Amino acid sequence: MNESHTSSIYEVSWSLRVAWQAQSISNAGSNGSNRLLPRRQLLACGTETDACSGNIAKHFHAALLAEYLEAAGCPLCPACKVRDGRRAAALTDQPEYKNLTIEQVVRDCGLCDTHGFLVTAKNAGSSGTTEARQRLSKHSLIEFSFALALPERHAETLQLMTRVGDSKDEGQMLMKMSARSGEYALCIRYKCAGIGLDTDKWKLVMDDEQERGRRHRAILTALRDCLLSPGGALTATMLPHLTGLRGAMVVCPSTGRAPIYSPLQDDFITRLSALQSETCLVSPFETIDAFHLQMRHLIEHTLPALPAACLMSGTANDGSR
Amino acid sequence: METSPLIWLRAEYHLPALSSCRVPMTSITSARALPTPGPATVRLALIRTGIEVFGMAYVESVLFPLITALPLHIRPPERVALTPHVLHAYKIEDKTQQQSCAPISREMAHTEGPLTLYLHLPIPMQDRFRLLLQMIGYWGQAHSLACCTRIEQGSPPLEECLTPLRLFKAQASLRPFFSSLLSEFRDTTLCWHDVMPLLGNPSPNPLRLEIYVWPLVTVMHHGSGRLLLRQPFTLPQEAATPT
Repeated sequence: MNESHTSSIYEVSWSLRVAWQAQSISNAGSNGSNRLLPRRQLLACGTETDACSGNIAKHFHAALLAEYLEAAGCPLCPACKVRDGRRAAALTDQPEYKNLTIEQVVRDCGLCDTHGFLVTAKNAGSSGTTEARQRLSKHSLIEFSFALALPERHAETLQLMTRVGDSKDEGQMLMKMSARSGEYALCIRYKCAGIGLDTDKWKLVMDDEQERGRRHRAILTALRDCLLSPGGALTATMLPHLTGLRGAMVVCPSTGRAPIYSPLQDDFITRLSALQSETCLVSPFETIDAFHLQMRHLIEHTLPALPAACLMSGTANDGSR
Repeated sequence: METSPLIWLRAEYHLPALSSCRVPMTSITSARALPTPGPATVRLALIRTGIEVFGMAYVESVLFPLITALPLHIRPPERVALTPHVLHAYKIEDKTQQQSCAPISREMAHTEGPLTLYLHLPIPMQDRFRLLLQMIGYWGQAHSLACCTRIEQGSPPLEECLTPLRLFKAQASLRPFFSSLLSEFRDTTLCWHDVMPLLGNPSPNPLRLEIYVWPLVTVMHHGSGRLLLRQPFTLPQEAATPT
């Protein structure tokens, strides 16, 4: 990408190895009240490894993004303003949002536009008290995989903690909390061309390019922060130590999928770099500062592309890239 | 549809992270995962991606009739590990608007080796379908990321592709192959509005359910997880020992 001007991009992906020490950002729950259970995943090679859910990464990104969108003057719907996780679905009970449309949601809320929402369909009540409702939804434009620890390169330490019981009689109680350390494989994909679009019909419903650009910059900035300042569960007392970040960023400037390759494979950067072409720009990085530099370039010098289906609206598109 | 010579197109997908295609009819609060997407998921993904690349009008008029009717086969990856995960779900009570949190279970799959699709289509449509197959970025749930790594011509090895139980004709003794309910398009005469219903015009379900068998056998249990290994349906039983 040229440093001096702004270019349009369709999709970006990151295949990453991120090293966290002494973290507990994603847990499976607790065994009663005395043991916090880490999340585990059986891999196809037959070994079990530590895992962090993509839900928690997405939740953290959404929280950060709401702040950046507000700071940039982008609109948020009443539900997202109060950080209601249902997003647009929380509005359907309010009389003024009874006839909610996809255009209205996408135009009026940067967070619903980015992270998606689902208003479920509803049948009319037999007594006539409730009206039928059509399903209304948008897929998330940003997708996070589970972070999977590299086998043989993760460890768990059980820390004995004390906590106060529910009542005075219960006194002090003991609880084992797991602190996990390791190098984790993580994939992220961001479909920037979908900003301001009804992605079920691939129809542009917000044609303000400046607003699309503001949302795009906020999404990337929030993503940069997510990786450089990790968040999730139990960060009040177990904020992870970030000790490494390496991987490859792949940018598709025109219609296309940005490839992702599992960072569990040792040669993932080599394999992705081999895909380099005019329509698939691969940028490897080895350190957090190199990652920061790449993200800064992306934030300052790119804008979301318009999908081919919008550019060719009404006519068949040959899909050539 | 005009008659043109047909070819088999073979597309390989690398699944870089975990995937979770829910077994039809399983509860969302206790969802089992399939080792691979089923035929309906593949057809819907082709329609969804077609709209992204070519626009709604072209998909409706040209691609849709072909996508609903084309024969397709799915070859699972060599190894699939399934693990149930406890997740936290939030529910809002309709009347009180009170929020509560409950644990739910969702199985996630990790795979080794490519997932392969085989589509039988007219030669003149080959380029369009190559583009569609290249553009598919996930199967089932949006975070079930997928990346197309290769598309070429090639016929399906049927003994390594999932098959409806009614067509199962394995010559070898029956082994504990993975089997499950799966959805497929109801028939090849579906119309556009069956799949893309109009507001206020409820359509009959465009999908039907059927039991399918995968050429995968369980070779290991680990805690609540299990590891499946691909084995051809026709493999003699003595050769099909767990590794």
